[in-house]
Amino acid sequence: MAPPAAELSHLPKADGSANFSFGGYTITAAVNGPVEAQRRDENPFEALVDVNVRPAAGVGGTAERQLEAILQPALRHLIAIRNFPRCVVQVTLQVMEAPENAYVNSKVMQPRLNLGIIPSLLHAAMLGLLTAAIPLNTVASATCLAITNATAGTTIKVDPSPTEIDQATSVHVLGFTAGRDLLIAESEGSFTAEEWDRVLQTAENVCCRGQETGNDAEMGGYGAESENVLQFMRSVLEAKAAESLHWR
Amino acid sequence: MSSETIFVLPGDRIDASLIPSHEKKPLRLGPGLRHVPPSDLVPTLAGQLVTDRQKNAIRVETANGRYIPRVGELVIGTVNKSAQEVYFVSLSDYTAPALLPQLSFESATKKTRPILLPGALVYARVTLANKHMDAELECVSASTGKADGLGPLVGGMLFTISLGMARLLMMPKKAQQGRLVVLDELADAGVQFETATGRNGRLWVDSDSTKAIIAVGRAVQETDEKSLGVDEQRRLVKRLIKELS
Repeated sequence: MAPPAAELSHLPKADGSANFSFGGYTITAAVNGPVEAQRRDENPFEALVDVNVRPAAGVGGTAERQLEAILQPALRHLIAIRNFPRCVVQVTLQVMEAPENAYVNSKVMQPRLNLGIIPSLLHAAMLGLLTAAIPLNTVASATCLAITNATAGTTIKVDPSPTEIDQATSVHVLGFTAGRDLLIAESEGSFTAEEWDRVLQTAENVCCRGQETGNDAEMGGYGAESENVLQFMRSVLEAKAAESLHWR
Repeated sequence: MSSETIFVLPGDRIDASLIPSHEKKPLRLGPGLRHVPPSDLVPTLAGQLVTDRQKNAIRVETANGRYIPRVGELVIGTVNKSAQEVYFVSLSDYTAPALLPQLSFESATKKTRPILLPGALVYARVTLANKHMDAELECVSASTGKADGLGPLVGGMLFTISLGMARLLMMPKKAQQGRLVVLDELADAGVQFETATGRNGRLWVDSDSTKAIIAVGRAVQETDEKSLGVDEQRRLVKRLIKELS
């Protein structure tokens, strides 16, 4: 699988913006904030987080609203919302590209939850928030896992392709903060408690791998194909900071 | 200026050796850092960690984003409307306006206060920046009663620039430290103009000829957007001078 790619601050009018592509998905995030909230929505103690997911084609429907409902509480935990009372932070996530299988058939029949897109949406939103210089408590990353029941036994696939998701018995999305706290847990399909434990373990290793040095040997083996996104984000942001703060 | 450039992400651990310690001065935290009691310092922005050991201060430097008012910073605001005692001044788009008391101008009294119409520009200092209250501004130094260059900006044009560029323009030695020569080059080429920079990403330019105002403003904006180097800035200025004459 191709390594993740990102472009930062490419939209001139938004406070922060990022283009993130990984696993066939390309997401553009535009972040504006903190701006004044509308009178009827404002919260006197904390900032609102307004997440808007737009599909690659057409207007958003119930599937996009569900994605927003999954992402919004996660981002609320990350943003230091108590620093900005009566404000709103707008996060707009536009799907630019999706792998072939993702929208073609499901869109025609009925809207259904597309778990595979959540990690890309979260990572794009993170990069957008970081370039908009919105204070965050911590950073986070997510991963998608699929369990397949074959004759050889159950296998866990990290970052599955849309076809693999179709064939899987269950699909899971787990997000972790840099401090190894569970942030997102969404599952679809049937699975046992033991399988869930394995999934949790694998996802934690994928998301938080390389956070501490010295544990590398123990953590090898889980999909070398999946790049550690937190390290990737750090390197692109560091390059951007070095470029824009060249005078330091 | 410290030469060490450490990049941090929100929630990173800051190495204890990077936190300055001073016998007498208290530790000052700049933007982008959060104090978690009892003794943890956690960055909240992605940027370069800057340690100033002389001032016993530490901060995270970023160049993008929206302006958040902080006490003591010089800003250029646009008057939105006037109320009984205060002007409502907008510092950035879509944010709550800041308050500028009508009497906080040099030698202003109840009878002689400057009348500012909606759209007028003011160069002001932030005196109050509290998360639960609207920011407050002043155009006069509270201790001396002198304006010190603050006050209404008459004529000229306002240009929007990034926060990093605004910071660069406000540096005393921007040519040596910041490699920003575009304004000096324009002045050397014989263009006469006057500028004021607000920390909120606003650049005000005034000159006798409108052409010169636009040329200066556009030159700074282009330098900002394309992050031009010294040579590219010189080339840009040469091209603009040719177009001006």
